[in-house]
Amino acid sequence: MQRDVGSLPLAPAVRARLVSAGFQSVQELLETGPCGLSKEIGISKEEALEVLQVVRQECHGDATRTTARSGASRKCTALELLEEEQAQGFIITFCSALDNILGGGVQLTKITEVCGAPGVGKTQLCMQLAVDVQIPECFGGVAGEAVFIDTEGSFIVDRVVDIAAACVQHCHLIAEAHQEEDQLKALETFSVESILSHIYCFRCRDYIELLAQVYLLPDFLSEHSKVRLVVVDGIAFPFRHEFEDLSLRTRLLNGLAQQLIIVANDHKSAVILTNQMTTRIGQSQSTLVPALGESWGHAATVRLIFHWDNSQRLATLYKSPSQKESTVPYHITVSIPFGLEIASCKGIFRHTDKSVNYVFLVLLFSSLMNITGNTGMSPDLLIFCTFSL
Amino acid sequence: MDWDQFDLNPKVIAALKKADIKSIKEILNLSGADLQRLMKLSSADIQCLLKTVSHMLRRSSMLTALQLYQDKDHRTSQHQKLSLGCSVLDNLLKGGIPLVGITEVAGESSAGKTQISLQLCLCVQYPYQYGGLESGAVYICTEDVFPSKRLQQLIDQQHKLRADVPAEVIQKIKFGNSIFVEHAADLDTFHNCITKRISLLLTRGMVRLVVIDSIAALFRCEFGASDSVTKARYLQTFGAQLHSLSTRFRTPIMCINQVTDAVSESEATQCGSSVVAYSVSPALGITWANQLLMRLMVSRTPQPERPPGVVSHHTGSVRTLRVVFAPHLPPSSCYYTVKMEGVKGIK
Repeated sequence: MQRDVGSLPLAPAVRARLVSAGFQSVQELLETGPCGLSKEIGISKEEALEVLQVVRQECHGDATRTTARSGASRKCTALELLEEEQAQGFIITFCSALDNILGGGVQLTKITEVCGAPGVGKTQLCMQLAVDVQIPECFGGVAGEAVFIDTEGSFIVDRVVDIAAACVQHCHLIAEAHQEEDQLKALETFSVESILSHIYCFRCRDYIELLAQVYLLPDFLSEHSKVRLVVVDGIAFPFRHEFEDLSLRTRLLNGLAQQLIIVANDHKSAVILTNQMTTRIGQSQSTLVPALGESWGHAATVRLIFHWDNSQRLATLYKSPSQKESTVPYHITVSIPFGLEIASCKGIFRHTDKSVNYVFLVLLFSSLMNITGNTGMSPDLLIFCTFSL
Repeated sequence: MDWDQFDLNPKVIAALKKADIKSIKEILNLSGADLQRLMKLSSADIQCLLKTVSHMLRRSSMLTALQLYQDKDHRTSQHQKLSLGCSVLDNLLKGGIPLVGITEVAGESSAGKTQISLQLCLCVQYPYQYGGLESGAVYICTEDVFPSKRLQQLIDQQHKLRADVPAEVIQKIKFGNSIFVEHAADLDTFHNCITKRISLLLTRGMVRLVVIDSIAALFRCEFGASDSVTKARYLQTFGAQLHSLSTRFRTPIMCINQVTDAVSESEATQCGSSVVAYSVSPALGITWANQLLMRLMVSRTPQPERPPGVVSHHTGSVRTLRVVFAPHLPPSSCYYTVKMEGVKGIK
């Protein structure tokens, strides 16, 4: 009841009148009553009634909110936060080197931005993550669902099917090696169809549709409470044309970032954004930098830049609150970047030479190591897995 | 915009009219606080307004990946692709050119770029069951005149190229009648062409393929090194317009691009050409590459030494078609030749 009048969700004009008439706390407003209020600040009785209605709702809301949350989300100690964060888990990328620099995988409740030149593998990572987020808990996953907002039309479902099939097969291999009941049980429902049916795709053709979609996201996520990943692929494309007024663009982008932070926090989901690269012309030489300007750099908590070094794909962790800046090479298995598609590897073995086979096995091995890290499988079993291919 | 149709509180609608807000776009362009000030409403009302308006705009646009995958309707399905008229090349591209998005074919002169696009102009006219889209094509020439003689030759030889299609089906199609040729030698004409003329043809359903031969020619003469910002803006605008045409009409856009000699290795790799051995990279730089869904490169292949005694059964030189990047394809390549009847892949 001691709430300040200025903090009420009223129209700005009404608020200003209340303050100038000397009202300070909600208590005073309620005591005055509608007639008094309308006389006091010179508004109609109807309006005064409305104001009081809002005030009562707010007070009521405050009361329920404080009991429901019992101070957990507003006031918590650093220790509680730490425990909460550690319990959250990560979405693994299936590329051990990438997981390592990210500190275990893509973090929930954080915004991660992936920047890179066209063709370097941004969309591939997004599709991979949309599948990986659904790995059951007993395999070290988060057993979530994914929202995929596609602005460029690059979400190709056939490719997702490939990745999903590889992921399911991979989990089958682990379960066979382990023979643990909960894993076998989880696999009964973990199929390519179930993975596909839990990726919710939205196609946005321009920035207006993207903004509208983001306004609708909180409601959608409340309905689909298992969503743990929101992908926007890509954020840059709709904002890089038809903008004469760059300050408008900056404002809209900041608003969008704000909305996404709220989504990430309230629904405990990871947000992945992809961004394009652009050339910045310096005095002596030009360099490639992420697009959308300097201020957008603050939007994401984690920023990952993919780039080429000759024929090698490199991933650089550019910004992160918890991990140090580092660069790792990531391999692309012939048909599956990041992903580990055992079926297609078999196909490749047939018509490639031995040295390539070796590379695949090593790759496969390193990814399996990554899984063991999460599931506690022993290395012997792993070798068994690898050679039983 | 008629606000009365919206499910909104009359008070909010009145405020909208009073604040002289005319479109959904205007609402979404303003921040929540701005709207509160302009419309003199509380933040709860504004939240409600934003949600209603967003809902109106998006309706139910959600599809799960499973729905996309199982979609068999050829008007919406992602499986529908435009065939190149040759099974080897189609295999390389997993069925052909995707319907939504800009596909680029880059390569040095005489590598076979125009041949591939001419063949596509014919393939698009076949019935759906033979990989076509049952519609015509627009061919926008920006540098050379349209190679109509070669087109005529290809039309006459169609029965040889498409042995999989019954002869009576081929005879029935009047190939020459539904290829529309546009000439656009400068940026303004080109802009006019894609915004007005092409969208008219697309709206009437007369074409389902747009070929631009070539996009680089427009930019190479008009812009010096100092106008790179204007050039980038033009490229982004064109990219966006072509993109929206492609999405609205589910029409593949095929852009032919020239190549430049890579000045340094690092610059070549910026544009996504990962193999160092190729000393050329597609023109127009990263700004254009950002607009593309898929980039293909064609080149003449140096003839390998044939073992003596083996008689070559391929006439003409061997060329390579390489996938540089695509969301659904691994970087891969295959050989092809250009023959009298058209472009054919070699296994």
